[in-house]
Amino acid sequence: MNRTLSVIRMQFVNRQTYVWIPLIILAGSFVLSLLIFALIPTDAPKYGGAAQAPLWYLLAVGIQAMTMSFPFSQAMSVTRREFYVGALLTAGIAALVLVAVYVLGGFVEQLTGGWGMNGWYFYLPWIWEAGPLGAGLFYFVMAVLLFIIGFWSATIYKRFGGVGLTIVLVGIGLALVGLLWLVGRMDAWGFVWEWLMSAGAMGLTAWAAVVAVLLAGIAFLTLRRTVP
Amino acid sequence: MTTSPDLVVQVDHLTKRYRETLAVDDVSFSIEKDKIYGLLGRNGAGKTTVMSILTAQNFATSGDVRVFGEQPYENARVLGRMCFVRESQKYPDDATPTHAFAMARLFFPRWDQKLADRLIEDFQLPPKKRIKKLSRGQLSAVGVIIGLASRAEITFFDEPYLGLDAVARQIFYDRLLEDYTLHPRTVILSSHLIDEVANLIEKVIVIDRGRIIMDDDTDAVRDRAASIVGDTAIVEAFVAGREVIHRESLGRVSSVTVLGALSPEDRRRLAAAGLEVGPVSLQQLIVRTTQHSPSDTAITTEGAVR
Repeated sequence: MNRTLSVIRMQFVNRQTYVWIPLIILAGSFVLSLLIFALIPTDAPKYGGAAQAPLWYLLAVGIQAMTMSFPFSQAMSVTRREFYVGALLTAGIAALVLVAVYVLGGFVEQLTGGWGMNGWYFYLPWIWEAGPLGAGLFYFVMAVLLFIIGFWSATIYKRFGGVGLTIVLVGIGLALVGLLWLVGRMDAWGFVWEWLMSAGAMGLTAWAAVVAVLLAGIAFLTLRRTVP
Repeated sequence: MTTSPDLVVQVDHLTKRYRETLAVDDVSFSIEKDKIYGLLGRNGAGKTTVMSILTAQNFATSGDVRVFGEQPYENARVLGRMCFVRESQKYPDDATPTHAFAMARLFFPRWDQKLADRLIEDFQLPPKKRIKKLSRGQLSAVGVIIGLASRAEITFFDEPYLGLDAVARQIFYDRLLEDYTLHPRTVILSSHLIDEVANLIEKVIVIDRGRIIMDDDTDAVRDRAASIVGDTAIVEAFVAGREVIHRESLGRVSSVTVLGALSPEDRRRLAAAGLEVGPVSLQQLIVRTTQHSPSDTAITTEGAVR
């Protein structure tokens, strides 16, 4: 456990990856969104999608954790399990900080009526439909899921090379297309859309959480035999 | 396999096969506590692979590896007592040497920051420069500093001198010996610069094409040959009938290295003839004795630097 904590501390030794870059992305996409809101000459609500940007950065962080931190952690005599749990917890901490900013930002937007120009960067009604906690959970799960996807992809790449990763991605693509085919075959599109609509942000969060937990397990199994 | 407290590493019939190559071929050896080992061999001989498997960074195809009597894989108890910074070690993106040392400090309980600071000075390492911008020598210095300052019970140095100039290499050898004397520990030094490390290592393990071809005390290896120096004619008379592995002449003086230990009788004859026995180059000896294998598997002085 002690060494798992050290893995977390290790990731924060160089604050660039987990603190400064996400902050710059967040601040940058926020300022850009506000500027664009100001440019749009309408009084109707303006919703931005740029709040996704820092979430996508966690995909890159997941890749880096594998390609850069993992080989170094091996030189630090850390077991793969210690490293993995530490890396996941680090991503969790980063996601929590991000979520705190998002929720606070959402409150401020509500108080100021969208920064006085009806522009909404943090507060997207469909995400906030279950209140601030629900919105926070949504962002947290998405951030962690993206981290795990990045981490797992990089692990496959490290273990099985570019061809291996491509085959896995094509395989997942095929499975998804197969699913689409199945839905069409069963004439269930109406049902699926209805279900998607009714599930809302919370339903999406729940499913994303299931996928995240599954992938986290698969990623660990992939990591167990990975050579730095 | 029996476990002796004095054997910190035991390797039993270790084999590592990559798709088309056999990197380690049925290797067995053990490592004694608190000794300095030279793991010698050409580039690609299997040195790094063996060290990687010992530290559970890589996996054996077959065979058994015990460190402190236990399996090292996913074994924090065992791994925490070892340090292996590989020659091609990767560091976190945008990390500086200062970052790397701060991280190492978190994991090695016996880390000595003072020693690290002193080594940074010695190697004139720019501590705030990004590691990916460092020269090959500076990169080696980062690995060497982590290896030395970690004071791990088993420390591996993987071709630690790559890119280091002669002065920096000497600093490394001096500091290693100095710190080893104060804090004895097991050191495994992989190298193809045999003569440079010859005075440092107490034990020699030579690995060639994935097989161990020599595993002995350095002194015992040295005794396997002798270098006879003196007047060419007298030297030649003495070495007649012996297996000569090296010959050097300057004017009328020759130095001839012959295989086989010298008997007391030999020494008496040498003294009577006014010949001297000079030191044998470990490198010469290893190169010559390994050249007996069917094809040219000699250890060369200058391996390609990756």
